[in-house]
Amino acid sequence: MSAVGAAPRLEGRGNRGSASWMVVPALVLLIGFFALPYLTIITMSLREASTRAVYGDGFTLAHYTTALGDLYIWGILGRTLLIGATVTVISLLLGYPVAYHLAKSRSRWTSLLYIFVLSPLLVGLVVRTFAWMIILSNNGVANQALQAVGLINFPLQLMNNPLGVTIALTHVFLPFIILPLLGNLQAISPDLAMASRSLGASRMRTFWKVTLPLSMPGIQAGTILVFVLSISAYVTPAMLGGTGGRTMSVLVVQYLVDNFRWPAGAALAIIMAAVAVLFVGLYLRLTARAMRRLP
Amino acid sequence: MTALTIDRINKRYGNLHILKDISIPIGQGEFVSLLGPSGCGKTTTLRCIAGFEQPDSGRILFGDRDVTRALPEQRDIGMVFQSYALFPHMTVAENLSFGLEVRKVSVPNRQRRIADVLAMVRLEGYDKRYPRELSGGQQQRVALARALVIEPSVLLLDEPLANLDATLRDEMRFFIRDLQQRVGITSIYVTHDQAEAMVMSDKIVVMSAGTISQFGSPREIYERPTSQSVAGFIGRSNTISGKIAEALGQDSYKVDTPCGSLGTTGPAGLAKGTDVRIMIRPENIRTLRHEAGTGHQQGAGEAGHGENALAGAVINSIYQGSANQLAVKLGSGDRIVVDVGGRNPLDVGEQVTLRFAARDTWLLAS
Repeated sequence: MSAVGAAPRLEGRGNRGSASWMVVPALVLLIGFFALPYLTIITMSLREASTRAVYGDGFTLAHYTTALGDLYIWGILGRTLLIGATVTVISLLLGYPVAYHLAKSRSRWTSLLYIFVLSPLLVGLVVRTFAWMIILSNNGVANQALQAVGLINFPLQLMNNPLGVTIALTHVFLPFIILPLLGNLQAISPDLAMASRSLGASRMRTFWKVTLPLSMPGIQAGTILVFVLSISAYVTPAMLGGTGGRTMSVLVVQYLVDNFRWPAGAALAIIMAAVAVLFVGLYLRLTARAMRRLP
Repeated sequence: MTALTIDRINKRYGNLHILKDISIPIGQGEFVSLLGPSGCGKTTTLRCIAGFEQPDSGRILFGDRDVTRALPEQRDIGMVFQSYALFPHMTVAENLSFGLEVRKVSVPNRQRRIADVLAMVRLEGYDKRYPRELSGGQQQRVALARALVIEPSVLLLDEPLANLDATLRDEMRFFIRDLQQRVGITSIYVTHDQAEAMVMSDKIVVMSAGTISQFGSPREIYERPTSQSVAGFIGRSNTISGKIAEALGQDSYKVDTPCGSLGTTGPAGLAKGTDVRIMIRPENIRTLRHEAGTGHQQGAGEAGHGENALAGAVINSIYQGSANQLAVKLGSGDRIVVDVGGRNPLDVGEQVTLRFAARDTWLLAS
């Protein structure tokens, strides 16, 4: 390789060298607050149970085999994933039009809509969940209203089941899909839609053929965020789920705090994390195929 | 037969009157430029033609068809954007195919037309490339091909060369003009670059503040501008104030100025005593070293003879390669810019005589 050809590479290496220093604080943070706790949990999940300490001395895979052989746990895992998927799909269907409108609108009311979008995040988690209990309980606002107008005679079961959890989670996680989508949609030049229309494509066709494919990165980012947040949520399913809407995170906390079964609870947490990684990985693959043509 | 008629369209945004009674008739196969500074309404006019804006009043006709209320996709237009606006997730061939698919053109016909139009813009073999793999000039040619492949009734171009560098821009001007003439498509071209409009257009619409300042051929606009603002916007020009002394013919006048009386050409029907400005283009003035002995400060205004002479002193000289641009201060204090070809033998401070023909002048309303 000639000296001329080597010059840019040297420069490149120099850049990387200076950048690597800037990574150090983040790396320390990551190791201290992410890798180490995870290692602790993994170790814990492999320890024998003990009645005298958090865990015993010996190592065992028993917590994993027990959990994976337990249909009840499989059921809860399935329910957790189903709630996550449902919340994600509903958030996407509800959030996309809002993001689309926010990206296109030049109205002065846009900032008001922005505040509406962010409003779920402006209220504390527990307070918000209590509000949902007031609305969704058997003699809550929703049921009373439906009975008052005569649509139903008996109260509907709106909480203490997956439905209530899904409703409340969709509410709080909607901004997490709207914001990435909004950034994505705003970055798409309005000229592209105009070019499409000038070529004879209707608004509908323009959306399906141009806008939607180009907004895949925003959809991908937003849906992953909502899915991961939904399956790992604790407070909402704990308060609104009851036994019928119990999710993995609720079960894990029950193991750890109520039953004091730390190694078994740790194993459940690891299983949950592994399943989440698996699903997100699979999803990334699928969506990457849809985005392979994007710049 | 007019291919496109813009008939007294108006457009307001709140209190802003963006387009004021704009009317433009465009003939079949003509290349018409909308020229003006930003904010003059040229882009809004184009968007009204495309259907992305609705005029508040007035009509737009494609041939006999009233398209004023038609959606863009119903109008049968081809449009080229400043940003190229190629679909980034589609290859060149897919970009070109887009409009043909909408029109339900059969696959073999589609392929043939795509190949034809790619040959026309000299991009054979680029069909599988993505826009990001092409240079700016190539992208703009793809955009042009995409607009032409659907064989629209009107081609609309919105400052398509503004993002290209100067050399490429010059090349593309001739490329687009040549292509347009070969295809014979009626075209409307929005630009703020007067040189671009001059070399490309059959007709130019000079716009300012939502109105049409002048509509005519490049030659008419350049040589016979109807106002000071048009004269100033198109090319460089000098003006000398004066008053009509007498009409010498239908379009020739004797004008009294502080530099003496000058023979001029102007629009017919100017009355004696009218205040006017005499416009002279820098390239139409010959500069001679001051002739000793005839050292009068007055112009040698043998008005009617067809040749004028003014005395002055060189106050500035700018070397421009192909020519020198001199600034000459007249006895009256007016500053006149002239072009001197070849090597400039004149120095700053030298006394000179400026000579120009009456037919090279044009009178503007003051």
